[in-house]
Amino acid sequence: MSGWSKYVWAALAIAVLSHLALINAVPNVLTGVAISRLGEAGVNQWHVAPRVTEASRTIVRPAPDFAYSVCAYDLARGPLRLRVADWDQYWSLSLYGANSDNFFVLDDREVRGDAEIILVRQGRAAPDHAEQVVQSPSSKGIALIRRLAPTLEAYNAAARAAADDVCAPFTNS
Amino acid sequence: MWRRVLAWGAAALVGVGLGVASAWAALEFGRASFMERYGAWTHSRAAGSVGADPYTRAVIAREGLLALSAREALYFNLAEDSQGRPLSEACVYELSGPPLETRWWSVTLYARDHFLAQNGDHAAAIDATRIRYDGDGRWRARVAPVRGEAAHWLSSRNTHSGFSLTLRVYNPRREFRASAESLPVLTTLNCAGAAP
Repeated sequence: MSGWSKYVWAALAIAVLSHLALINAVPNVLTGVAISRLGEAGVNQWHVAPRVTEASRTIVRPAPDFAYSVCAYDLARGPLRLRVADWDQYWSLSLYGANSDNFFVLDDREVRGDAEIILVRQGRAAPDHAEQVVQSPSSKGIALIRRLAPTLEAYNAAARAAADDVCAPFTNS
Repeated sequence: MWRRVLAWGAAALVGVGLGVASAWAALEFGRASFMERYGAWTHSRAAGSVGADPYTRAVIAREGLLALSAREALYFNLAEDSQGRPLSEACVYELSGPPLETRWWSVTLYARDHFLAQNGDHAAAIDATRIRYDGDGRWRARVAPVRGEAAHWLSSRNTHSGFSLTLRVYNPRREFRASAESLPVLTTLNCAGAAP
């Protein structure tokens, strides 16, 4: 290789690598920003989001028909217990890894009454006596509860129900 | 010596520049190639999935972070009319559809920044719990800056740089089949700025 061709090939190789690196980085960076924003008031605890309005600017394309509860989690110090208090309309608990993948969903078709899971880091041992164990592919991630609540009255009722949700370190007691 | 260093530095800069520009272009203009199309609606069955390819994952992270996987919900987006023109607040549209084979659905209007438009009129969404069907079995909603006499309204009042619609289909039944016929249809009534 001589003259300018080696520089052209080098530029093309760097272009391909930086293109792929950026495409792969986008979900991790955006999820990281979301985890930071949502965890500002504390990680490993639920936060009931205010009713979605045109002033809502935390997560893109929010649905105004849902009451959201969010827990930015960090499994570095061990497993978490996630509990969803019952709701009389559609609800779901969804978990998102650091790369934005929705790796777990549980909804009211599968559970009657309150729901509970134990969330552990993938590859780590699950606690003894834990029943429904879910493995997170990353230490950090986001847990999200959606409760269908299209009206202000329904939102207020959902927010009251959400007071009984749990996102907390797992203890054997 | 210095000439060679400068040449390698320039090659690296050009390479990074090309990589960044092509990645941005892929996400901004090439996203349609990662999506399925039903009429004017676009949809990605891989949204939120652990099996999503890197491009789909990046597009969804930009435009629909925390989307549910297709096991739970399907998302359809509409940003153009049937003629391929971007949706505009200068136009009056009618969105109509048959009952959907699903547990619950909604249609939400978003401004170009992917957040609810700052309209101040609480008309950002319609949903299955509140929709009324006409005698022919279809529901109809007006998509326009003003409500007029419409039973259902999605406000585009302050969407100065265009807007899009998202159809959410939660817990679709086995019978649900996405198609141009089964999904709601957007009809442009006029683009003169005045409601008919």
